[in-house]
Amino acid sequence: MSDALTRNDPVPATPFGGVGVTISLAAPMKRYSLRARTAQALETLLNVKVPKTISVTVAGIACLGPDEWLLRTEAVTAMPTSAGLPVAITEISDRSICLILEGPRAAEILMTGCPLDLDNFAIGRGTRTIYETVEIIIIRDAEDRFQVEVWRSFAAWLWTAFTTAASH
Amino acid sequence: MILIHCPYCDEKRPEIEFANAGQAHVARPLDPASQSDEEWETYLFIRANPRGRHHERWRHVHGCGRFFNAVRDTVTDKFETTYKAGEPRK
Amino acid sequence: MSGYRLETGGRIDRGQSVQLTFDGKTYHGFAGDTLASALLANGVMLFGRSFKYHRPRGVMAAGSEEPNALVSVNRGPGRFTPNLRATNVEIHSGLNAVSQNRWPSLKTDFGAINDRLGMFLPAGFYNKTFMWPRSGWDRLYEPVIRKMAGLGDAPTQEDPDIYSATYAHCDVLIIGAGPAGIDAALEAMGSNKRIILIDEQDEVGGGALADHTLWPWLERSLKALADAPNVTILKRTTAFGYYHDNFIGAVERLTDHLPDGGDAPREKLWRIRAGEVVLAQGAIERPLVFDGNDTPGVMLSSAAKVFANRYGVAVGVSVALMAAHDSGWHDVFALAKAGVGIAAIIDVRDTVDAALLDEAQRLGINVHLDHSVIGVSGRHSVKAIQITGGKTIACDALLMAGGWTPSVHLWSHSKGSLKWRDDLGAYVPDQPNENVRCVGACSGDWDFGNGVVVDVLPTPKDQSRIKAFVDFQNDVTAKDIKLAVREGFRSIEHIKRYTTNGMATDQGKTSNLNGLQIASAALAKPVPDIGLTSFRPPYTPQTFGALAGHAKGVLFQPTRTTNIDGWADENGAVFELVAQWRRARYFPQNSEDMHAAVNRECVAVRTSVGIFDASTLGKIEVVGPDSAEFLNRMYTNPWKALEPGRCRYGLLLKEDGFITDDGVSARLAPDRFHLTTTTGGAARVLNMMEDYLQTEWPDLNVWLTSTTEQYAVIALQGPNARKVLEPLVEGIDLSAEAFPHMAIREGTICGIATRLFRVSFTGELGFEINVPTAYGRAVWERLMAQGAQYDITPYGTEAMHVLRAEKGFIIVGQDTDGTVTPYDAGLDWAVGKKKPDFVGKRSLARPDIIASGRKQLVGLLTDDPNVVLEEGAQIVADPHQPIPMTMIGHVTSSYWSETLGRSIALALVAGGQSMMGDTLHIPMPGKTHTAKVSDMVFYDPDGARLNV
Repeated sequence: MSDALTRNDPVPATPFGGVGVTISLAAPMKRYSLRARTAQALETLLNVKVPKTISVTVAGIACLGPDEWLLRTEAVTAMPTSAGLPVAITEISDRSICLILEGPRAAEILMTGCPLDLDNFAIGRGTRTIYETVEIIIIRDAEDRFQVEVWRSFAAWLWTAFTTAASH
Repeated sequence: MILIHCPYCDEKRPEIEFANAGQAHVARPLDPASQSDEEWETYLFIRANPRGRHHERWRHVHGCGRFFNAVRDTVTDKFETTYKAGEPRK
Repeated sequence: MSGYRLETGGRIDRGQSVQLTFDGKTYHGFAGDTLASALLANGVMLFGRSFKYHRPRGVMAAGSEEPNALVSVNRGPGRFTPNLRATNVEIHSGLNAVSQNRWPSLKTDFGAINDRLGMFLPAGFYNKTFMWPRSGWDRLYEPVIRKMAGLGDAPTQEDPDIYSATYAHCDVLIIGAGPAGIDAALEAMGSNKRIILIDEQDEVGGGALADHTLWPWLERSLKALADAPNVTILKRTTAFGYYHDNFIGAVERLTDHLPDGGDAPREKLWRIRAGEVVLAQGAIERPLVFDGNDTPGVMLSSAAKVFANRYGVAVGVSVALMAAHDSGWHDVFALAKAGVGIAAIIDVRDTVDAALLDEAQRLGINVHLDHSVIGVSGRHSVKAIQITGGKTIACDALLMAGGWTPSVHLWSHSKGSLKWRDDLGAYVPDQPNENVRCVGACSGDWDFGNGVVVDVLPTPKDQSRIKAFVDFQNDVTAKDIKLAVREGFRSIEHIKRYTTNGMATDQGKTSNLNGLQIASAALAKPVPDIGLTSFRPPYTPQTFGALAGHAKGVLFQPTRTTNIDGWADENGAVFELVAQWRRARYFPQNSEDMHAAVNRECVAVRTSVGIFDASTLGKIEVVGPDSAEFLNRMYTNPWKALEPGRCRYGLLLKEDGFITDDGVSARLAPDRFHLTTTTGGAARVLNMMEDYLQTEWPDLNVWLTSTTEQYAVIALQGPNARKVLEPLVEGIDLSAEAFPHMAIREGTICGIATRLFRVSFTGELGFEINVPTAYGRAVWERLMAQGAQYDITPYGTEAMHVLRAEKGFIIVGQDTDGTVTPYDAGLDWAVGKKKPDFVGKRSLARPDIIASGRKQLVGLLTDDPNVVLEEGAQIVADPHQPIPMTMIGHVTSSYWSETLGRSIALALVAGGQSMMGDTLHIPMPGKTHTAKVSDMVFYDPDGARLNV
């Protein structure tokens, strides 16, 4: 009926290149908050394996809490209905954006405001934490690559914080 | 900034990921309507203020999101232990 | 010797001359000098004026313990830093330093009259004298005292510098890079531990920098550490505080030592978490207490050695030593070997080690054992000293060797315990409270030799007529401490506060132990019985900029913005902050003021259609088989019977029965609800609900997910709202019959999935369009284009407030204040009377809640319709009663209603619901206004405009 609408993101589409680090906006993806009484209930419903240990990420599913998982996928898949089951699936695709920090200074830039010891943060780990006063989820893809999930309204601030730190 | 052991994440995490949630083991009466005014007032307002061991609740709000219990010394600010919600008082 | 610069020696770069100014006069030093060493090399002895008596003061120390030589450094507009220790200021070309606390000049200072009046300015003088009249404080005493006393001027302009901050983690943090700290680093280096070694000075080495025999070792050691990948060395970095669980705050100074710092951050805040902390802070030499011990040229003997051996500066041509400790002798021997003339050694002891006497004899130095200095001649510099027995010795500098005080500051921050060592006359670390150990001199472990502890040097003079300083920075003398004891103070904590001993910016680094010894003698009690005052962060003063770190300007705190914020900005919105959100307050056109813009926006909503960015509304998705049961327990009203596709106003109480939040929520499916909360309440409500769910009712199969930011929300309000929406929506029948007020439908708008609410916070036909946030602006723009034919009008939070107030809709937090029950707010209809329980229900039956006379929310209509009452204005029943009047309530909301052509207000009034039509009085500046109590709904009370 009309032209496709354009998405509007809170940070520039052009990556920021600093010394030793590049900061960029990840492509849009589907995100679901998966909640369940047990991991088994979720596995049965979704027919996938989910990690049982908090902060472990397997195949795009991060275990954030004892009954909470975050599913992130670039493939558009219909989610099954959880009606009647002790399971809750909520779409949160647009709640956050994902910033990617890549380069030898990636951990250093994150640690300018994140109190976790990222020297001892294994590849593949993902956890909810905080950067100064802003809640984030960090996922380490590689020694020098982190994904940082941040709610949209805080994203512009976090972008400024990261790019300022990266330019020093 | 103290480190707090989250019994759900099973690791020590920085204080700013947590929020204090008041005294622990103050259970909501199962049938509030049967409570006398005095009993209800005690439940609502009367809290311990010990010098030393204090049972209190914390929430790993910027982490796993769970409420849990802790024993903290109000003089030294040191945590003696933390344990999951629903576990008996330590 | 050229001036006071020794021909050889020191670590300065003699090939690199540096020009600086002090009090406008030009001097030259060398790269590697501090301001203190450069000025001393130029023969400058007078550095500043003291805090209270304006006495001339010079340099007493060579490091961060310096109490006297405080200067201000001016680096240009907004870059004025007061109270810097000249002994820590590195010189660079163009350095512009000025002295402090003097007028009109350092040499001629009118304030020095205080020194002559000293006998009238004892401890507690200000407390005792300027007691009344009370008004004298504001107008006279305080301004004058402030001008006369004090340190440097505070900067007056905004700080243009930027600062940075970081967290850091290590296995071993070593604080202090003298020989002990470096040894600790070398020892840990071979492991795979992460090591951070920090030191406050511009050059690493601590005491080794003043001992050239250690330089080869120092060079080797630093090279080894620099080559080790697991060692980070931070110089110019002060560990200012030691907090719980081995968390250390440190500030690294990055650019102050450079002629031009460029765009780099000035300082960096390090927040370090360490597995183990090794404190190697060293020890500070103690001054001796005697008449005239603050004369410029009287200094610590160790400092004289540092100036000679590290900076190549002689502190005098003919230098005398007053010793109570062997270390002073060794310092003087080193000076003699560096080419400094030695006038005499005076030692309070009657016997010293024979080896010392032999060495003194070999160097041809006169020695006076069992003698004390009892006077110093010279005001702006030392000319001569008098010693017991009547002898006068000519000299131009006098060194003090009073023994050593271990630097236990950070140890004490960490709550480690201390024990008294009589042999050292000092407190040393005892039991740790963290994983920390002390090494080197700060543990009391040193090889400085032996000494005796003396409180005040013996003197035949009248003790009440001499000025023997203990705390040089706060101008506290031995006499002041004795006076405090005579006046009845017994605890060192009280003596400290009464005399201000140890309360200056140096926190008593050179004065605490002497003060304790004097109090101990006056009270005839051993020192441990008197105690020790606490050390608190910061170890040395730090800038506010450093503590703020990067949290400055736009990074001060996050400003949350919606997806539509950019459109509002481009279209001239005036914004306001609501919680952390930036929200459009109104959209002025042409030269409209707020009043005109809000009137226009309100009229547009009432007559055609308005559009409002409601994205900041808190949203929670409640999912699971027990969702309805959970909401039924949380909210005051019933939820189980709500059909999918319908909405309900939810009122949330705290357990105490008072309103904490409200919002319209929808049932999407039997096991799925879409809740809304107030903008400011979103996080609080989610936390409260999680609390009940996790800890009171963990058996319920319900999960909560914040969806506040998943959806942009656009409110389309007004009689033409449906017409604007219809062409854009697919899959939803918008007719009044198919989609009634308080319903929700899912479909698409402009091809994007939407949760479409038919709700109204204005009293008009209204929709709230929820779309995935990324499309918020695009949908908004389509609605603007579609609505153009109806003059669609964007409105802001101000018009929203007016429109809702016309309908008597409350705003939680504005019309309620945490003490308002549903009954007080007139929301009885929202309380499920038949429900056996909900959060807060039991409290609604408490005696105070059911008592009469509670403040109740009512409408107020001023008798003069043009008067808009002030929000917060107090309400009285009788304006003629004497002051203080009995206030029976206050105005909570008040606006001009263009629609009604008059003002409207909401107010909390005691017993208000039974006062309909009564006249109340509202005193405001200039006039007391009258108003009649009314119903809260001012417009369309039957709701006819909603159901169309």
